[in-house]
Formats: sequence, C-alpha cells, structure tokens
Amino acid sequence: MRLVVLILAISACQSSDVSRQVGARCDTNADCDVKCLPPGGDFPGGFCTVLCDTDANCPDGTRCIDEQGGVCAFSCAADPSCTFLGDGYTCKMVDSHGGGAKVNACIGG
Amino acid sequence: MYRWLSLAIALAPALAHADQVAPPPVAPPDMSDQAIGASIGAATGGRVTAGGLRVAGHFLYQLSDRDWFDGSALFTFGGGTAACFRDRTDAFICDHGLAQGDSIELEAGVRHYLGGQGEFWPFLLGGIGLRGVDFSSDGVNGFALGFHAGGGIRASVSQGVAITAQGELELGFGAFNHTLGIEPQLGVAITAGVEFRL
Repeated sequence: MRLVVLILAISACQSSDVSRQVGARCDTNADCDVKCLPPGGDFPGGFCTVLCDTDANCPDGTRCIDEQGGVCAFSCAADPSCTFLGDGYTCKMVDSHGGGAKVNACIGG
Repeated sequence: MYRWLSLAIALAPALAHADQVAPPPVAPPDMSDQAIGASIGAATGGRVTAGGLRVAGHFLYQLSDRDWFDGSALFTFGGGTAACFRDRTDAFICDHGLAQGDSIELEAGVRHYLGGQGEFWPFLLGGIGLRGVDFSSDGVNGFALGFHAGGGIRASVSQGVAITAQGELELGFGAFNHTLGIEPQLGVAITAGVEFRL
C-alpha cells in the first residue's frame, strides 16, 4: 500500500508550467513540437512556441505576439507572472500579431 | 429398537456412498498441470510508462490445488511522437500519453482460483516483472521493475481449451537515461486470451 501511495505521489508531483508546445527550453526545433526561438536576445534559455496569426491559434494563457511573423508567448499582468520562466523574463507590452493592439507578454532581454 | 435398527441398516449404504463422493473442485476441472496461452488487449501508460496494444504469451504450471504459476512475456506497442522537453529549470521531463511507447516484459506470477460455477472460474493474480521500456521518438529508454495485481475469469469452451479475461494494475519503478533517473511506472491493462492445456 505504501508503494502505491509513493508512486502516485511521485507521479502527481511531476507537472510543469511549460510544454514542448510553449515554454520549454530549447536549442533547436527538434526540442519543440513546432518552433524553437533560440537562446539569447528576447528568449533566454530558448523558448518553444507555435506559429500564429491571431490569439485563437495560441494555447490557453498565451497570446499571439508580433515576433518572427507571429508566435505565441505567455500573457502576464506584471513581472511576478513571468518568474516561472526563469531569470531574464519580465512582463512587457508588445505588439500583438494580427490584432493591431498592444498586449502584455513574458519576454526576455 | 427394531425400528431404529431397520433405519440404520437402510441408511448405511447411503452414508457409505457419501464418504466416497469427491469434494467439489477448487479450480477448473479441465485445467491440467501445464498450459500455454496468448492474450491481447490494451494497456494504459503515461509519462515514462509505455501504453498501447498489449500482446502476451503465457505458460501456466500448477503449484497447488488452487494456484498456478503464470510465466508471461508481455509486449506493449504504443509508438507515438516526441513528448519530452526541458523545463525552465533545465530538468528533462517526459509527458507521454496513455498510448505511447513500447515495452517488453518478462513476468513471473501466480494465478489463484477463487472457486467457480460450471465453466466459469474467477481468479486473482499477482506477479513481478522486469521490463524494458523505449520511447524511440525521444531517445528515452530504460529498465523497470514492475508489480502486477489484478483478477480475471476463465471460461472453458471445450476440453482443453478455455478463454480468459483479466484486468490488472501495474506499478513499479524504472531507471531511465537522459538524466531522468528513477521514474515511477503506473498503468492498467485489460486483456482477453485463450489457453490450451498441455
């Protein structure tokens, strides 16, 4: 019984705020489902993302921003919302892609 | 006195016959001391537990009136796409679905019959197995020790042939590459099979 509880507990603990789709660290596209924004510049540590034309193309919690032809990035309200991405990421106002408005997104640099 | 003596004489043959009646069977009467079988079904996986189509081969050997050793080779075919990534702390994480990955396992177990009626005989099963796991899309593989527990039912369809249905919970731990280290194994398998007495 203890073994069952231990295994279930370990399994439950292994969740992540990021995924191969959006947010995982990466060096190349092979590290991601779709596209890797390589380390450096606006994306310290690399950033897996998906291409988008509008917010509707992005997973929950992300917005379509006007970077590299339109990519999804985590939306935010303030800098603390971006701390889960690690050092270098802050909440910045950037151009949305396809909407013509400004949105807050977690960006590095 | 005469009446009691007559009754005793009349019942004596019946009582003697009752002594000779065999006790009811505690396992399927048509089950021999050895049998082979094959089964097919589905196994659920997740994270670094392989899941998908389950195919198994069995060898059964009688241990006692109710218990048979069940030596099995279990194959799981899930395939699937890459699902591992590095999180923001650079930890390597795998998030495979219920039916991804491949595995092969050798299991030693025991099937314990609970007593049945007619052709139908329910049983419990438990065992331990050594499993090789591979998620080729991610280059992730490893070995795991698994514990199996479950139950099922056996139904005789003819002398020497039976069909089975069983479900089992599979728990364990595995050691994996890519800095994953020790990871839990957790799954459920449901299979149906056929057995032939030897």
